[in-house]
Amino acid sequence: MSTKPNIKGWKDLNVGGVVESGTSEHFHTGDWRSKVPVWQEKNCIQCMNCWAFCPDHAIKVKDGKRAEYDYAYCKGCGVCAEECPKTTIAINAVKKDDPNAKIDSFDGAKNPTFAEKAAILMVSLKDAKEKFGVK
Amino acid sequence: MEKTIVARTGNEAMAEAMRQINPDVCAAYPITPATEIMQIFSSFVNDGLVNTNLITVESEHSAMSACVGSAAAGARTMTATSSQGLIYMHEILFIAASLRLPIVMADVNRAISGPINIHCDHSDTMAERDSGWIQIFSENSQEAYDNMIQAIRIAERKDVSLPAMVTTDGFIISHGMERLETYPDAEVKKFIGEYNPPYNVLNLEKPITVGSIVLTDYYLEHKKAQHEAMKNAKKAILDIGKEFGKVFGKEYGFFEEYKTSDADYVLVCLGSTAGTTKAAIEELRQEGIKCGLIKIRMFRPFPAEELAAALKKCKGIVVLDRSEAMNTQAGPVATEIKAALYDAGIAKPMHNYIYGLGGREIYIEDIKNVFRNISKDTKGSNEVKYLGLKEA
Repeated sequence: MSTKPNIKGWKDLNVGGVVESGTSEHFHTGDWRSKVPVWQEKNCIQCMNCWAFCPDHAIKVKDGKRAEYDYAYCKGCGVCAEECPKTTIAINAVKKDDPNAKIDSFDGAKNPTFAEKAAILMVSLKDAKEKFGVK
Repeated sequence: MEKTIVARTGNEAMAEAMRQINPDVCAAYPITPATEIMQIFSSFVNDGLVNTNLITVESEHSAMSACVGSAAAGARTMTATSSQGLIYMHEILFIAASLRLPIVMADVNRAISGPINIHCDHSDTMAERDSGWIQIFSENSQEAYDNMIQAIRIAERKDVSLPAMVTTDGFIISHGMERLETYPDAEVKKFIGEYNPPYNVLNLEKPITVGSIVLTDYYLEHKKAQHEAMKNAKKAILDIGKEFGKVFGKEYGFFEEYKTSDADYVLVCLGSTAGTTKAAIEELRQEGIKCGLIKIRMFRPFPAEELAAALKKCKGIVVLDRSEAMNTQAGPVATEIKAALYDAGIAKPMHNYIYGLGGREIYIEDIKNVFRNISKDTKGSNEVKYLGLKEA
């Protein structure tokens, strides 16, 4: 765990503006998120693709296995859903055509067929909050 | 101290300084009239006289980029260029300064295209005057050699940590052979000392990010930090110039004053024209015109207060600009001097001449004439005049 830089004014900056390592821990990219990935543990095959591809550190690992998201670091980019081998091609097609309009029809909670296949799916933040109880 | 007296061109003198400095890394690309510096230096590398890692690159943009990488890794880094080469480095110059990397560069002044021209004027250095580099001008080979050695100390001083360029006038100094006093290797090595870099991106014990994005929240603060470092550079240039005088026998300051104490008219210029001006002053004083010279050595940071104080007593000022600012108001040097005088509450007749562009020769007679002109004009003139211009 790095120390949070205490920068108040110009005198507090390091020479040349260099930054110590590990400061991304203090930068909560989750603030940007408009869509949220949802992980369905029962469908997960523990391939760890999502962990490898996540550009931040949103995917936690516990005892060598994928654990729940740390949404503080999830900016909702959807790379995990894209790389998840248990996600159907349907979600990719919809994302390319219209990323927002038809999200409900591919919602795991409403679509039992999809829910069976998907380990990770992207839904809107509003829907996630309402239907999956994600904060 | 035993000095060695040799005959050297400006380029040879700068290469000799680089041999004695023995930098860790040099990344450079050849360009007339600076090519010789790195050509001579590369033979030093080949002959094992220096321990430098010489990186040959495909352009000046790459040369300065390699210098930034090397300096960020804590290596004492140098390069040399001129004209198009310097302005091709343009975007990386700003990065080197903002990253506070004390790279030292020899810049042999040459006109900028177009029309294409290989001869001396100061357009290249002046085009980079806002880049955040310390800029030191030299009148002759000796000053070029001395300035290179001092520039290492100035740039690397902890409260400065900024890149510095030392300039010579292309061909006039770079290819003109003169008497040069060199100092023993051991004395130069002792004077510049061990390099203690501001940071090291390759230090695995303390990983850092260099060149991260800074947006609306702290960009302004970064520039203020650079601004303060530039202020500190003023002090460093004086301190190190004095120390250099104690060790090697010739003291350096912001500018050199020549016969200004009783001068009615003072001419301000940079570089080799100062030598011509000194000769003109000798002759004019025989005619009864009391004239003097201020040769600016340090252009960035600009010694505004000190110059204003030095120009306070005279009746009229002549400023010679060897580059154009194209503002139709004044050349780059005159613009700075006008601002300095305004801040000091001094209003005096001033004549500003653009001269010597593209290597146009300047003669003693030309300089005598500009002194004669100001001595007859008590009002001054806002018109920018071209010296030695072919009207018809």
